[in-house]
Amino acid sequence: MNYHTRRRLTGFVFLAPYFLSFCCFLLLPILVAAGLAFMRFDLTAKNSIQLVGVQNFRELMKDSYFAQALLATCRYAILMVPSLIISAFAIALGLNSMSRGRDLMRALIYLPGMFTIAVTAILWQWFYNLEFGLFNFLLKHLGSAPVSWLSDKRLAMPSIVVMALWWTAGGASVVLLTALQQIPRMYIEAAALDGANAGQLFWRITLPLLRPVLFFVVVTNTIGAFQMFPQASLLTQGGPLLSTRGVVQYMYETAFNNYRLGYAASISWALTLVIVVFISAQFFAFRRIAD
Amino acid sequence: MRFWRIVLYGLMALVAAGFIFPVVLMFLTSFKPEAEVLNPASAFPKNWTVQNYTNVLAWAEEAPFSRWLLNSVFTSSTVTLLVLGFSSMAAYAITRLNVPGGRTFLSVVIASMMVPGQLFLVPVYFILSRLHWLDTPAALIVPATAGGFGVFMLSQFMRAVPVAIEEAALMDGCSSAGVFLNVTVPLCAPALATLGIFTFIGSWNDYVSPLVYMDSVRNYTLPVGIALYQASYYTEYGRTLATSALATTPLLLMFLIFQRQIVESMASTGLKD
Amino acid sequence: MNARSSIGLLGLTCLVLGLVRADVFSLATAKKPKVEISFWNGFTGPDGRVMLEMIRDFNKENPDVEISMQRIAWALYYNKVMVSGLDGRGPELFVVHASALTRMHRAGIVADDDDIFQGPSGIPQSDFDPYVLEQTMFGGHHSAVPLDIHPQGMFCNSDMLKNVGIVNSDGTARVPVNRTEFIAAARGMMKLSTSLDAKFGFALTAWQNNFMSLLPQFDGHYLDANGRADLNNPGNVAALTFLGSLRNGMHLIPPPDNQMGWVGYRQQKVGMVFEGVYMLGDLLRLKDMHYVGAPIPTIGNHPGTLADSHCLCIRSGIDLKKREAAQRFIRFLSANSIRWAAAGQVPARRSVRALDAFKKMQVQSAFAKQIPFMKYPPRITTLFELGLEVQLAVEKVIRGTAQPKEALDIANTNAQRAMDRDAEQSAGSKR
Repeated sequence: MNYHTRRRLTGFVFLAPYFLSFCCFLLLPILVAAGLAFMRFDLTAKNSIQLVGVQNFRELMKDSYFAQALLATCRYAILMVPSLIISAFAIALGLNSMSRGRDLMRALIYLPGMFTIAVTAILWQWFYNLEFGLFNFLLKHLGSAPVSWLSDKRLAMPSIVVMALWWTAGGASVVLLTALQQIPRMYIEAAALDGANAGQLFWRITLPLLRPVLFFVVVTNTIGAFQMFPQASLLTQGGPLLSTRGVVQYMYETAFNNYRLGYAASISWALTLVIVVFISAQFFAFRRIAD
Repeated sequence: MRFWRIVLYGLMALVAAGFIFPVVLMFLTSFKPEAEVLNPASAFPKNWTVQNYTNVLAWAEEAPFSRWLLNSVFTSSTVTLLVLGFSSMAAYAITRLNVPGGRTFLSVVIASMMVPGQLFLVPVYFILSRLHWLDTPAALIVPATAGGFGVFMLSQFMRAVPVAIEEAALMDGCSSAGVFLNVTVPLCAPALATLGIFTFIGSWNDYVSPLVYMDSVRNYTLPVGIALYQASYYTEYGRTLATSALATTPLLLMFLIFQRQIVESMASTGLKD
Repeated sequence: MNARSSIGLLGLTCLVLGLVRADVFSLATAKKPKVEISFWNGFTGPDGRVMLEMIRDFNKENPDVEISMQRIAWALYYNKVMVSGLDGRGPELFVVHASALTRMHRAGIVADDDDIFQGPSGIPQSDFDPYVLEQTMFGGHHSAVPLDIHPQGMFCNSDMLKNVGIVNSDGTARVPVNRTEFIAAARGMMKLSTSLDAKFGFALTAWQNNFMSLLPQFDGHYLDANGRADLNNPGNVAALTFLGSLRNGMHLIPPPDNQMGWVGYRQQKVGMVFEGVYMLGDLLRLKDMHYVGAPIPTIGNHPGTLADSHCLCIRSGIDLKKREAAQRFIRFLSANSIRWAAAGQVPARRSVRALDAFKKMQVQSAFAKQIPFMKYPPRITTLFELGLEVQLAVEKVIRGTAQPKEALDIANTNAQRAMDRDAEQSAGSKR
């Protein structure tokens, strides 16, 4: 056995564990999901697997619960992503211009991101409680009427978004802060020498240089937002009137409460398609801005 | 100028307080008796009590906290270990051993990172049930090693590290495996630390997989355990908050110790759902 | 510490924790061979603790058997029993609501259990109400033993009733029994409100259950004579109209807020609620609350309420030894169901209900008076879907976004669609 064959063999051995895991739990599931989407499969009725072609997707088009779930998910994403980016960016800019205590501040702001969603939801359920929640306690003592944060149709989704912001804004701002710190000082100094004011510095120098990172943060958070599930399912259980039940929760309930695995898979694919459309739109938007 | 500085610091202090206040309030309230929880006259308990904690811990059969904690630590450590091992070996094979098809594989892996995670829930459940892995730790550990992020990140890192040292070691008669263990891994330490922290926290906070893949209460991890426990005691907020405080403390301690590394690794990997 | 030793340490941690997890260190203590039965249920509250004590006693009396209990919150419980049962890993013995039995039975994970009612040590069938036993039978075969009956009833805060002068001649709180008295009491107790602290005479708890409790009083039903969904029948519409008028016409109940009805009652901010007898367990822990249990007042044409049963099921395909042990435990629970009653349940067995000890349980025995008028949910495999539709219809009406008839029309269409789909799907399947 010569040196190259041996090296090549070693290469395969080194790659093998990950390759296997990748094939079994990433590639294969995609194939299984693709297959299931065209099948009818009820876990509780034995031998119920049937190939039904595009029937699941046809049902999906007529399914008003799916439409409702998609609307809820889109509402969440449209409220969540911009408010997250703006608040995280503001925090990052604030942190960046601090000369002392920055690390401590950064750690405090990041801390909620360490919590599991279960604890986060328990905490905020308490804050939002109609009778003895923190917010209504404050409202009452300011002399105004209590607000049903989680069971008013207009307020439930924004309330979930506020919780999610508390939970994730720290993480996003830390990413943006790191990117801000990596901007070479000489760019800013040179521009300042040329007489640029703070606004011009921000719009002409900082923002364009941050474009790649910003795109990354926007895309990852958009993908995350479209998959919103425990945020709402733990806080409102999808109510009131299913207005906060997102697509993933609907998919979960279809698969694990009603045991319809085939239909659930087709819901997953439909959501994936929506995500791809949104991400492509963002991609082209960012390219347009660059030109 | 000075005025704006004060405004900036004031604002940032307010923001930080907003982020930290709920956490502090949770811990303080968990030491209040039930009546004070419901009628909060002050953030601080008037009569400190550990009743809420003893209520939770006294019935281990009902809520086996230590067991959930054990499961969480075990699952997260094993996932981290395997992800570090698998990813670094794969990245080594691709960037250093130039395994045939490695480049193509890497682009497939990167492309797969775009697929939203929700798509995997049903098919992975189906595969696990065929393997008879449901309700075993393997269901939480093995699928978690398939993600492409580690391979992607370490490949990028290894490409930036000069190969000269490794080549010198090879010249000295070291085997590829020896070079990997003795030279490459230490060289990649910063990237491995980042990936490790990122993986550990991600696994620790995973809520959906244990919810779907685990049946037995004994096999739950902390997040699912406390979420379900809370559901049956939703009328008692003191107890619920004590549960949350208990579940949060291990990670909080970790955060206090490794604060800088954790925040910086999150900044460089940058994601969280 | 360098990278390699860190990873080594991590590896060691995993190994040690893995061994601890797998109980390797406790293997040294040799145990006598026992028949191990795993018993699952959703009794996650205080009732679970009573069950646990009964299990301890059974294990003591039966040294050859070891029952171990696992509790999972009901919301997740059925999913777990179903999928683990289908996978062959499920518990040998488990609790299923009578209403949920249909789907479990079709999935083939519930064993027939006729023999437990036979022989000298068998449970006498005559000790059960025929209507209750019927709920657990399929094609003439028993598939479970009903342990209890849990009707929905009314919990009243006696202090609040007294404070507004709704009392009997002997000074005790007077519990409303009909529509007029109920509305008067609900309105009366609202007067206890202060500017900072609103009080209500009545509040809804679980919308779906509240509606289904009134439905038999108005001669409503779920299915027509042909077994098709009939949720929009005049009786159901009348029941829902009454429920909606509490909020939108009479303004007697607080704005809809999930589950806050019970929490409000517990905090003495709400005077009366309709709930299941099992919620008593939650009240038993409160020291300074005075309450009384009563049948749901007759708001419709005659008395009536919703009920269900916790039934003990044996998984199909387990070996004879385990089956015998599981049956022994079922007989033990059934015979000692007076202890279970204390946790906040009405025993399914008439002989137990006839005991003085039971008659002394105020709430339980008051709720038990409704047994002749109670109605169980429909026995269909798509109960989950039907329940969601009912829930949504009630919610729409309470929120004032739809009229009762129109809300129930939609619910009926959707429920029937789910039933059709399910029928079509299972037509090709064989058990």
